[in-house]
Amino acid sequence: MSKLKEFTASSARPLPVVLLADVSGSMSTNGKIDALNDAVQEMLESFGGEDDSRAEIHVSVVTFGKDGAKAHQPLAPAAKVQWTRMTAAGGTPMGAAFDAATGMIEDRAQIPSRAYRPTIILVSDGQPTDEWQVPLKRLLGAERASKAARFAMGIGDDADEAMLSAFLATPEARVYRAHEARQIKQFFRWVTMSVTQRSRSANPDSVIAAEPTDLDDFNF
Amino acid sequence: MSNRLPDDYFGASVVGPRHRAEGKPNEDSWLGARGAFGTLVVVSDGMGSRREARRGAQMACRAVLDAVRSWHKAGGRDLDELLVRIEPVWCSLIAPSTARDCAATCLFALAHAYGQVHVAAIGDGLALLRTRHGLEWIVGPRSGGFANETAALGHSASWTSRSFPRAGGEVVVLATDGVADDLLPERIDGFVQWLMDDFAGMAPSQRWRALQRELKDWPTPHHTDDKTLVVLMQREAVLA
Repeated sequence: MSKLKEFTASSARPLPVVLLADVSGSMSTNGKIDALNDAVQEMLESFGGEDDSRAEIHVSVVTFGKDGAKAHQPLAPAAKVQWTRMTAAGGTPMGAAFDAATGMIEDRAQIPSRAYRPTIILVSDGQPTDEWQVPLKRLLGAERASKAARFAMGIGDDADEAMLSAFLATPEARVYRAHEARQIKQFFRWVTMSVTQRSRSANPDSVIAAEPTDLDDFNF
Repeated sequence: MSNRLPDDYFGASVVGPRHRAEGKPNEDSWLGARGAFGTLVVVSDGMGSRREARRGAQMACRAVLDAVRSWHKAGGRDLDELLVRIEPVWCSLIAPSTARDCAATCLFALAHAYGQVHVAAIGDGLALLRTRHGLEWIVGPRSGGFANETAALGHSASWTSRSFPRAGGEVVVLATDGVADDLLPERIDGFVQWLMDDFAGMAPSQRWRALQRELKDWPTPHHTDDKTLVVLMQREAVLA
């Protein structure tokens, strides 16, 4: 048997997905946190079941709420994640979540340079309660984090659309809106499809994203 | 003087699973040559998204050889003087195609007849030199960004380069990112030693087949890229 195996990586290149999940108190109303939990669980199951991938999808979930921003689910291969449901309480420290995402993506020990470009998904139903402009600027200006594909969803009428648009920072990208819990799941199904298409793509660094004009028109 | 020791080189290049599935040819290229200038090896990786990536890589190898010949003939010793010659030669070789259509990385090592080893690179991949004192990384492991982001000839990128006095026993390893990105940096010493132990002593045709087999049977799961690996060594390193 060849000795080459001793000198080479034993896993596929990672395709990291970082979810920034709003778990502030307002998410506990109208079934939003339950819908978000179900949607993330479904996404993890889809990612974990991918066996035709060029890349291994790794997922981290950073929550921001009562306990500040924290890695509710540290970055790990989706197939190995044991999902623990999130609970909602407290404010919306989104700036801290941006810093956590930037720190994670810039850390080559967590996301090696052989990884494909990460995807960051931001989901929020409110307005940041901490200083977020500077952390967002740091994220958008960071050497590696700035290259991530970014998706954003605003839940309900209170979501800060201007802030979510600033997170996307590209004119062609748009903020997806959810007015009811089921649309959270639809958004995640669409993000899941975009990521799995990338992982199966000949070049997983190219972001293939079908652009639904309205999530209600998008049949899954 | 150590430069009287004969140099040797070997290498191989295989099409990766992605291009095989798409029915496309290998977009990597490599070249080895000996002449009055010394011994030269070149590796190039055509940028996958470009229309004439394959040709860009092939011409990158030829451009370095042409530039080395003219530079040496003109009495050149300074590496920077050689580097400024390469891109114009490459542009003339790819004409009338554009640098955009032919974008390719370029890594080379020259064991110069005047007694130095020159190693230079534009773009990612692996370029390292092993001497009796240890390993010197010239390019790699990938320091920033993510997979498949690289600089290329024709895009105003600057060369990364080093020159070393020849003391005997030097080994230079060049590889495209299809190889480089899957190598464990902490095991690179063992990897170089494996190349020397298992391949350096073989007859050339047997060596080429054996190395091709290793690249085709690349062990990293779901690998996609074309793979090219080239070694330049002083014969003394084989006999040691």
